[in-house]
Amino acid sequence: MAIANVKVEGLQKSFWDESRGEVRAVDGIDFDCQPGEVFGLLGANGAGKTTTLRMLATILKPTGGSASLNGYDVLADPEAVRRSLGFYSASTALYPRLTGRETLEFFARINGYPANQVAPRVEELIDRFGIREYAGARVGKLSSGMKQKISIARTIVHDPPILIFDEPTVGLDVMAALEMQNVVHELRDEGKVIIFSTHIMSEAEKLCDRIGIIHQGRILALGTLEEHRQATGKHYLEDVFVHEVMQAEDQSAKAMASPGEPRTSL
Amino acid sequence: MRDARVLLISVFAPLVIVPGYILVMQWVGNSEEQRLEDTVYEYALSGDEAEWGLEIVSAALALEANDPDTSQAVVLFERQQVTNADSLLESGEIHLVVEALSPEAYERSRAEETTTDTLDPEEDEVTPEIEEGLDGGTASELQLPIIRLRFRSNSDFSRRAHDRLDVRIREVRSELRDSVYLAGGFPVGREEFASVETENTASAEKEGGALLGMALTPFLLLLMLSGGSIMAVDAITGEKERGTLETLLTSAASRSEIVAAKQMGIIAVGVVVVVINVLNLLAYLVLGLLELPENLAVALSPLDLVLILILFLPLTVLISSTLLLISGYAKSYKEYQIYFLPLFLVFLVPSLAGILPGLDLRSAIALVPIAGVGVAVREIMVAEYDWLFLAIAFASTAAASWWASRLTQRTLLTERLISSSDLDEADLLGGPALFPRHVLRWFVGMWVVFFLAAIWVGGELTLQGQIILNLGVIFLGGSLLMVRRYGLDPRTVFALRPVHPAVLLAVLVGIPAAYLTGIGLSTLVDAYLFPVPQSVLEAFGEALLPDEIPLWQLIFFICVMPGILEELAFRGVLLHGLRKTWSPVIVCLVTGGIFGLFHVDLFRLIPTAYLGVIFAAVVLLTGSIFPAMLWHFGNNALGLIPQRMGWVTEETVFPEWVFAIAFVALLVVFWIIWKVSTPYPDLKKTRPLEFS
Repeated sequence: MAIANVKVEGLQKSFWDESRGEVRAVDGIDFDCQPGEVFGLLGANGAGKTTTLRMLATILKPTGGSASLNGYDVLADPEAVRRSLGFYSASTALYPRLTGRETLEFFARINGYPANQVAPRVEELIDRFGIREYAGARVGKLSSGMKQKISIARTIVHDPPILIFDEPTVGLDVMAALEMQNVVHELRDEGKVIIFSTHIMSEAEKLCDRIGIIHQGRILALGTLEEHRQATGKHYLEDVFVHEVMQAEDQSAKAMASPGEPRTSL
Repeated sequence: MRDARVLLISVFAPLVIVPGYILVMQWVGNSEEQRLEDTVYEYALSGDEAEWGLEIVSAALALEANDPDTSQAVVLFERQQVTNADSLLESGEIHLVVEALSPEAYERSRAEETTTDTLDPEEDEVTPEIEEGLDGGTASELQLPIIRLRFRSNSDFSRRAHDRLDVRIREVRSELRDSVYLAGGFPVGREEFASVETENTASAEKEGGALLGMALTPFLLLLMLSGGSIMAVDAITGEKERGTLETLLTSAASRSEIVAAKQMGIIAVGVVVVVINVLNLLAYLVLGLLELPENLAVALSPLDLVLILILFLPLTVLISSTLLLISGYAKSYKEYQIYFLPLFLVFLVPSLAGILPGLDLRSAIALVPIAGVGVAVREIMVAEYDWLFLAIAFASTAAASWWASRLTQRTLLTERLISSSDLDEADLLGGPALFPRHVLRWFVGMWVVFFLAAIWVGGELTLQGQIILNLGVIFLGGSLLMVRRYGLDPRTVFALRPVHPAVLLAVLVGIPAAYLTGIGLSTLVDAYLFPVPQSVLEAFGEALLPDEIPLWQLIFFICVMPGILEELAFRGVLLHGLRKTWSPVIVCLVTGGIFGLFHVDLFRLIPTAYLGVIFAAVVLLTGSIFPAMLWHFGNNALGLIPQRMGWVTEETVFPEWVFAIAFVALLVVFWIIWKVSTPYPDLKKTRPLEFS
């Protein structure tokens, strides 16, 4: 029986840029997630959120550390990881020439959902998201709100125990963003593990059970909102965030002044 | 498949193009024929024997008019009486000039001719021999008048006029000859001694088949490339542009499944294209649904079509794999186009091999992937079935397609290509880790420079100059450039590490051991396996040296410089770059071989490669380049000094036991080195993890 949770230990991703040399996009990240929990990764742009999530989704390979989802290791068993995972990001688009229904069927099948249960599952999702009216129209012709609904349906069509949402409300209007948040709540109540990344403070406050503040590839602080408040003495998440980040910048400035460790040669 | 464009190109276009082409050819052919027939050809007479010329021409025209063979229409001629015949010919107002010249006039005009332009109308000389001398001889010797036909070869009409009149005038000539024979008492005309008939063994069908066969492969290739491209560009590039690549990659399908599925898709399109077109051919050429113009008549059986289909299958796979590969590399549709055009040419050019007249399938061309198919198809369409070579052509293209397919799969599985990462500039784990991927390219480049330098300036340089150029500029320069470019650490790359003293002692023994073993091996091979070229035998034992250079200079240029600079380049940079690509043994062989290739111009390939392998082994075993440098220096010195000092000459022959001892000594040397070995760090151990 696979344990539906997420374990990340010392995860690292370096890459080489001609001008900058070795860049550590993700520099040693640890966290755990349990079922029925929304875990939030909060950070500015370029902090390493997307890279981390991509590594969890096995799109990128970590250069150090390990991660396991649902008991499967991302390096050893990437397919099993993906089968247990629903990944949603602003850059996961849909095939414009398939209809909504066909999209859901395709992704159900390719993700290993039992073939004889695909059709009822698809219909169930169509009802749940209220897209029956345009389920038969080609996705390319739909408005962005409709596309988003189909996208979310696509993410959960194979009923994965773990869900990753990478900045899902980017570019959405208020109503659509609220929809999204409702869906996340529902899914959490169904007992899924949800990892949610955002840079919108209010969203994180509302949705996340635990929050990890990520900056320059490292997790600065991890805990529930209350724990963050107590640790920093601030009330609003925004202030907590700023506080942590400033602290981290001070520390790294001091570290620069004294000789650091030599760059590992390859 | 919902894309209308795919259907348009793969299905609709060929259905329309083939009959369209046929109809156009018919129309053009017919109208051309008509035009040629309807024209009245205008000619003029000139020359000082014009009157006699007129008689001959009239006789010829009479023959033309009274020809019993009515299969060809009579060509009509009309005489123009003009004084400026030549200029009218040049301007195209008349088609032909018939010059009748007396021998003297002929000689004179011949003399003038050497100064004329080659663009002048062509000339054809017909020499009617009114009297035949028994020894033949040229007309001018026999003082006979000459008829010369002047025409313009770049005009269809002029050519036709010339051809026909030429034929008739020659007939007149033979009739005149016959009358001479008869007058001389021979009972028969000359023709009855021997008639020569020419028969064109290439029937019209074969000619048509050849024509179509030449065009078929490039034509199908074009369709496959364009049809397949529509699918291919969408397959990965389109996914990237649309953003669906990430959606697909986070699904439970494995990477290789995804790649294979896309390949199948493109291959399917290619196959559909081929099948539709072959069916097309079936309809028109075998079943004869459309009447074909003469020069396109082809005799094809269904078996032929099956053969052609079979030949095209590996071609389809080859094209599909390559299209998918560039789709993987391209980050946008525009980039795809940039890669597509050169690829298009790379495929198209060999497919045109069928057009080259001299190429038979029964030659090396069958081994060249696409070209072999092109020639094979042409041969099939003229009903030449060279089964063995058809099989070879199929196999070579099939092998190429299999290789391309595997290459595509491997390349697409690398993270860099299939991830829709925004890390455009960065190469994941690049820099020093990128170097191994590029090192062979650099060495190929260096070899090219080396080779070109040898051709262009090699002859003009002294020995010292050559060595400075090759070793100092090319090898050292190349090495330093690579270090700089990839941010390499010189100490690591050049393996500048200290070494156990025992190793150095062992190397000192190894120098003569390897040297003599080399000589021994080559004589062995020569005696028992196959004759080794004398130059190679010699190269094992000596160095080619000019005499004037003082010994100390020779030592510097031939022993010290190579000992240092060649080692830095080959056992330094090259070895370091390849250390993870293959197992240590293969790395030794490869670096040795490459090292040898850089000495081609001195016939030293094999002995140099042999040494290269030994040096590489020493570096890998000791993790340091210094033993190899010492060995290299010593080896070259051993080749140089004894010869220079006169201790050995070309005639010196070593008894066989010397070689045996040398070989044993070499083994001992390596055993010692092995025992104290401090292996080269970071070699290839296990197969790297594949990203699935």
